[in-house]
Amino acid sequence: MILRSHVSNVSLAAQLPVSPPCFPFVLLFLIIGALFAAPPAAAQDTPYFVAYSHHLEEPGSLEVEFYSNYATQKAGDDFIAPWMEFEYGATAWWTTEFYLDSQATFGQSALYTGCRWENRFRPLMKEHWINPVLYVEFENTSGADKTLKEVVGFDNQFGDAEPNSQSRLEHDHELETKLILSSDYKGWNISENFISEKNLGHRPWEFGYAVGLSRPLALAASPRPCNFCAENFVAGVEFYGGLGTSKSLTTSGTSHYAAPILQWQLPQGVSFSVSPGFGLNSDSHRLLLRWGVTYEFEGIGDKVRKIFR
Amino acid sequence: MKRISIPVALLLAAAIFAAAGAAREKDSKDPGDDRGVLRPIAQAPLAARDWYNPYEGQPDAIAAGKKLFLQHCAECHGKDARGLHGAANLRSPGVQNATPGELVWFLRNGNLWRGMPSWSGLPIERRWQIVTYLKSLRR
Repeated sequence: MILRSHVSNVSLAAQLPVSPPCFPFVLLFLIIGALFAAPPAAAQDTPYFVAYSHHLEEPGSLEVEFYSNYATQKAGDDFIAPWMEFEYGATAWWTTEFYLDSQATFGQSALYTGCRWENRFRPLMKEHWINPVLYVEFENTSGADKTLKEVVGFDNQFGDAEPNSQSRLEHDHELETKLILSSDYKGWNISENFISEKNLGHRPWEFGYAVGLSRPLALAASPRPCNFCAENFVAGVEFYGGLGTSKSLTTSGTSHYAAPILQWQLPQGVSFSVSPGFGLNSDSHRLLLRWGVTYEFEGIGDKVRKIFR
Repeated sequence: MKRISIPVALLLAAAIFAAAGAAREKDSKDPGDDRGVLRPIAQAPLAARDWYNPYEGQPDAIAAGKKLFLQHCAECHGKDARGLHGAANLRSPGVQNATPGELVWFLRNGNLWRGMPSWSGLPIERRWQIVTYLKSLRR
């Protein structure tokens, strides 16, 4: 694939004054100091980019994640939208996560687009056939945010075609909730997410969905340490899209995607993921190419807690 | 919307990390070597006690189980499985006397209130391998 044009040389700092303010930077100072003394850990993550399963972060562990989303557009310039996630297991039933979003639209500019704070709770303390998780997120982003971490309402490729110079002026404060239902059966994970999002201004609720299905390539572990054996690879697929708003509940006029996923989980706590997403209708981006790298640090909770003793 | 101040962010961060710490310290106050792990294992359904371990005693499964244990469990239970941060000593009689079925059930469910995560994300084959390794520690 050929990138159509170069990103202009607009400095990130120059863009910050009109970007939403963010408090997670303070948290980062606390975390980074502890990271250097923390050994890596291997998680039991599912490989999804959009859908969530009921598997939470292990308590006291911090997963630092870098993801990126490249999209082609029929109606505007292609873009790439990188974001960082700091996912922390506060308890075995509560995971909290900070996001820092950015994007670069080819031929326009690169800018920081805001932050999000997400919390996931498991209300049931035992495993069931279907395991619910409650998800609450506060978003403080600009209209230029293009990470497409979820598709809701009438999100479509034409909305992402608006030039950065205009879209960055819009500030969105949104509350997003999800009901996550997830099951494990014979090595398979199937997750269904029902998404509702409310702009805290006077706008209607927006709805969306995400469904994920995944399985490791080998169910049993091999007796020797290995990096390239099948047990370290997870394959899957996810489907996601919008469902309109509370005023017009519909699947038309919004975008829908199907995205195969492959994840490589290294025993040293690193994982790599890639997912080409294909638009299923004319309102969708033709291609959403996502990739990510994550690294999990264990025992962060204990180390930071000692600072506050 | 009003900008959230740095002190508020600091308090928030402290609360989150303290919550994790509190869950662990609560464990360490339990008397006995098992540190509270017996009660949740005892909640396993009767049928689980008789579940057959397909890898029982197999050297390859013990090696694979050890590898998985070091990847996922040693953070809390220690590389020697004797327990860290108030987590259970997996060599203790309470754990070693549990049946493989009870242990694999417990691995699937965890004890979320007390800090033990659910490992249902691991395929059951890998959970059996971990249990096979744990049982080998009795020797």
